Amino acid sequence: MQFGIDWPELVRTVFSPEGAFVLSLAVLVVGAIFGYFVWRSLRQFMRELGVPEAVEGTPFERTARSLGTSTVGIVSNLAALFVYITAITVALNIAQLVDPEAYWTRFTAFLPDLFIAAFALIIGLIAGDKARLIVSERLRSVKLPEATVVPELVKYSIFYLAVLIALGQLGVDTLALLILLAAYAFGLVFLVGLALRDVLTASAAGVYVLLTEPYSIGDEIVIGDRQGIVQEIDMFVTHVESDGREHVIPNQKVFREGVVRIRD
Amino acid sequence: MTELRDLLDGVVADVDAVFLFSPNASYAEQFGELDDVDVVVVAPDNTVDADPFVELPLEFTDIEGRVRFGIEGALEQGVVDEGAEVVCVADMLGGTANTVVRVETSDFSPSGVYDLFVNSRAEPGVVRDVFEVAVELGKKGQKGKPVGALFVVGDAGKVMNKSRPLSYNPFEKSHVHVGDPIVNVMLKEFSRLDGAFVISDAGKIVSAYRYLEPSAEGVDIPKGLGARHMAGGAITRDTNAIAIVLSESDGLVRAFKGGELILEVDPEEY
Repeated sequence: MQFGIDWPELVRTVFSPEGAFVLSLAVLVVGAIFGYFVWRSLRQFMRELGVPEAVEGTPFERTARSLGTSTVGIVSNLAALFVYITAITVALNIAQLVDPEAYWTRFTAFLPDLFIAAFALIIGLIAGDKARLIVSERLRSVKLPEATVVPELVKYSIFYLAVLIALGQLGVDTLALLILLAAYAFGLVFLVGLALRDVLTASAAGVYVLLTEPYSIGDEIVIGDRQGIVQEIDMFVTHVESDGREHVIPNQKVFREGVVRIRD
Repeated sequence: MTELRDLLDGVVADVDAVFLFSPNASYAEQFGELDDVDVVVVAPDNTVDADPFVELPLEFTDIEGRVRFGIEGALEQGVVDEGAEVVCVADMLGGTANTVVRVETSDFSPSGVYDLFVNSRAEPGVVRDVFEVAVELGKKGQKGKPVGALFVVGDAGKVMNKSRPLSYNPFEKSHVHVGDPIVNVMLKEFSRLDGAFVISDAGKIVSAYRYLEPSAEGVDIPKGLGARHMAGGAITRDTNAIAIVLSESDGLVRAFKGGELILEVDPEEY
């Protein structure tokens, strides 16, 4: 943070010690006012964006509420706090009340990173909970007890990412965690790809079938060794019915074996 | 001196089951503590986590339709036995749980309403959506004038083979499903066309402008209904589809299954 270190020197060479003291007071006042405006406009901005509605119902928001504040309040307070602390350290440096080489100045340099890290954590916590809610909402129709694992998995994946970003921001060596993440992502992609291979090929064929409609509902067709009237076509399968038997044929079969349309 | 309470005790005496229609949670809970009668909840959504539960596909406004559907559903699910005496607690005139009806299931002839919605080829949600479209169309009409419409739902492959196009199919190569937001408007516009809408089991609108060609032998529909109803009734006898017909002349929505009139509702009441 160059601002905190170079400028006070310049100020002290230009102004007399008294002038520097007055200037540092001015910096404090301006900092206070600016902090207040940052706080207010951030609040306003987040309200306009609909942040309060978006975070409603997440555990983070509930915790914030029980502490008498809200997500919007915490974020805007953090931003204001950041401005205040910057102003105070700048003022202290100008007035030279503390040793410039002291711990405090290095803390100033560290401040933006800390702020971004905190911000990343808050966003991660909220996004994780929100994603869990959305996924579990989607999976509601799946009446399987094991299905509840998926939303939790999504939530903790996002938490992990947020923590990773925050730690990276703070300068902690995250290489090991990154490798773990890469392994996890690779495993996920690989396993899902393997598990859903048939579904993916079926849907790829399904897109073609739906777009061009080589056969439509009511046509009599033969796919492989099954003949019948088309009852339903969707992304993954084609329903073909004959004599009270409804064959559900995956769409990749349409591609692999071709379709015979019977016209008479 | 007899109290009113004693006189009306007979209504709820010795019943086998209580049917609660769209109860709120606390009300349903009180009933859960009864131990000698079964409690059946009938509602559009199972908000009270009740078991046994019968799902109402439509907001039947008249109490008879609701009671009929609930009891037929419970009989079908085997929750109550035939011949059981049940008491229904329902809402009327905007109140809550202010109506008590006693029904003996033995002298009650099922109309097949429950069967129509739940055991048809098409999915229950699709049947309900088409029903709602028909009711809406009946309410508003096309540009203020009453319109008629004929929807054939389910078994679309067979229906398509038992019908022929009157003109180009506006839904060709489109993938529109009933229940999509834009569909009501589209169907309303296309209801001006003659002919039937064909809708598949999963709710895809397969075609409009279809001229149905079923054999109408043995179709028993009330006299006085026109060609549209006859065609609708007949196609359900020939195929496993159901037909939902909006009458142009009297504005009622009727549903046919297996060649028989199952349900008749007045759109104005919804």
